[in-house]
Amino acid sequence: MILEEGRVVANTAIGELGALLQVHAPGVAGRAAAGQFVHVRPGRGWDPLLRRPYSFNRIDRRAGDIEVIVKPLGTGGEWIAERGPGDALDLLGPLGSAFVVRRDTRNLLLVAGGTGIAPMRVLAEREAARRNVTLVMGGRSVAHLWPSERLPASVEYVTTTEDGSFGVRGRVTDVLPRLLVWADQLMACGPWPMLAALGRMRDDAARGPTVPGRAPLLEAQVAVEQHMGCAMGVCRACVIVTAQGNARVCREGPVFALADVRFEAGEPATVGLP
Amino acid sequence: MPWRRPRRREERAYESRESPEERLERASEAEEERDTVELAALDGASIVEAATGEPEADGSAPSLVIDASRIDEARAARDAARPEEGVDLSVEVARGLRLRNPVLAASGTFGQGTEYAELIDVSRLGAVVNKGTTRNPRPGNPQYRIAETPAGILNSIGLENPGAEEVARTYGPRWAKLGVPVVVNVAGYSVDDYVFVVETMLGTPAVVAFELNVSCPNVKGGMLFGCDPLLAAEVTRAVKQVTDLPVIVKLTPNAPDVVAVARAVEEAGADGLTAINTVLGMRIDVARRRPILGTGSGGLSGPAIRPIALHLTYQVAQAVSIPVIGAGGVTSARDALEFLMAGASAVQVGTATFADPEAPLRVVEGLAAYVRAQGLASIRELIGAALPARGAPLAE
Ligand SMILES: Cc1cc2nc3c(=O)[nH]c(=O)nc-3n(C[C@H](O)[C@H](O)[C@H](O)COP(=O)(O)O)c2cc1C
Ligand code: FES
Repeated sequence: MILEEGRVVANTAIGELGALLQVHAPGVAGRAAAGQFVHVRPGRGWDPLLRRPYSFNRIDRRAGDIEVIVKPLGTGGEWIAERGPGDALDLLGPLGSAFVVRRDTRNLLLVAGGTGIAPMRVLAEREAARRNVTLVMGGRSVAHLWPSERLPASVEYVTTTEDGSFGVRGRVTDVLPRLLVWADQLMACGPWPMLAALGRMRDDAARGPTVPGRAPLLEAQVAVEQHMGCAMGVCRACVIVTAQGNARVCREGPVFALADVRFEAGEPATVGLP
Repeated sequence: MPWRRPRRREERAYESRESPEERLERASEAEEERDTVELAALDGASIVEAATGEPEADGSAPSLVIDASRIDEARAARDAARPEEGVDLSVEVARGLRLRNPVLAASGTFGQGTEYAELIDVSRLGAVVNKGTTRNPRPGNPQYRIAETPAGILNSIGLENPGAEEVARTYGPRWAKLGVPVVVNVAGYSVDDYVFVVETMLGTPAVVAFELNVSCPNVKGGMLFGCDPLLAAEVTRAVKQVTDLPVIVKLTPNAPDVVAVARAVEEAGADGLTAINTVLGMRIDVARRRPILGTGSGGLSGPAIRPIALHLTYQVAQAVSIPVIGAGGVTSARDALEFLMAGASAVQVGTATFADPEAPLRVVEGLAAYVRAQGLASIRELIGAALPARGAPLAE
């Protein structure tokens, strides 16, 4: 990881998801991978103090650009969300672990809840030319969904909204069973309750017989969102409980094996600070 | 750095990776490439895939180049110019402990010193204080453990650490290569606990002193030692009996009479003091109608507590004759100068590092620039410059 002063190229509002910031940062872009994040300083001063972690939403190594979705949470989040073209942005990254797509995967199933779309979009863009990709996107309403025109044309997508304003009324987990039968590999990112629901599906599958759709659940990888301090692995503010004991979301994570996350140990957070 | 491709499919996604610190260590020994090749041979991935964890993109630049550049960066960072060179910044931070400069990384904000070594040249610091180390491994407190406050943060980590034996075993060899002295921060619930940790850590490479955390507000009982002059003295005395290394006692601002504690531990043989640990504080999540932190309250740090820390440093420095290390909200050389002039012999930089990982080095550089600009022979001339007893006004 490096410290880099990025330059904002564009700031586009994406419904209720937040501001989509395109930032020229060739150093970070050149090292970044899907699932990893960048820790952004909200200004040059000490109030607000903490950097904010944002998962890469797009990585363009050739252009040296990254994109992140910024929810205007707290004064720090607001400051970052308000940056416009030409503004400097103090970046620390890329940080954390990345998703790993198996070579022999033909059908890749991606599941995104809310701003959890970020790493799924990176995966979709990278993998669409190599294998069949289906993306399930869920949100509270249509305004919380990622716009489909910003996805590669070859990616199939299924949408769910809690209020039924677009796509299937319900949650992403409602549409998963039929897709799991198709999938070779499953990757997901979203709020804790969504991942916990996936965890329960996995537990059921682990107990059940060997049926189609079982393998992708057992081997699923998920990216967790959590409050952070340093994001360098030193403060241990970000830990969640896993099969191996406490794990730092900023270092061992944010990408974990679904099977390892101990969801019953409690809800860590949604992204950003209250 | 992206992770490695797991060696076997059934292996857990993140288990097969080493920590980035470990990787850096190996990179410096130029083993990275060989290992990558071995990994690739193991699971049939290409070298690029093994290095990046990503399938190789057709026609795109090989990602292995990125790894090589990281190694160069780490080297370049290490060999980078040191603007502080040639300026006498050395200070005695505790009786019997002289450091090359008066800037230490504060406990709990710098891990085991190895993590930030990936980003900055830690060998330019005066010393690194490691995360609070206890007798047994501790899992720490429930979430949330951190919350933002005006110009500061609240934390309630709960002394999560792998225990003294594991710290000595795992980090001793790495500390030997860090190029910076290490002060071990010791925490406990009984006098025996403190003694056990100190005895366990004795002989660990690079360890030059112990800092007794008698002030962590997050753990039940921790409050006791730091708040009661008699108990604080008892711990100090017991630890002094088992080690010849300097023993620094870290004061809590939450004690009813901080100066009394300072005097008591000096009397008991402490070689230095750190002032201060975090200040008790709280935030409420209005939507949920309950405290944000899992433990309810936590420790406040950052610029928000700087005036409190400065005031206590000023008071304690006048009350004792052992060196005092100032801590609390130091972000810049100017802040550090305030502490030095208030009687501190050195400062610790903690929370500021989270916002700016280069903050501790900027303090070192800034102090050197100040000493130069003021034409001083040594930074030591500034220590206590603002204390009433000395009353020496600054030139200009
Ligand atoms: C996340 C965090 C963890 C800390 N852990 C410890 C600890 O383990 N032992 C200790 O003595 N002090 C600990 N501290 C206190 C700091 O070392 C320091 O005394 C305090 O934060 C004030 O300095 P600052 O404002 O520069 O951070 C911790 C502080 C923070 C923010
Ligand atoms: S945020 Fe500090 S250890 Fe993860």
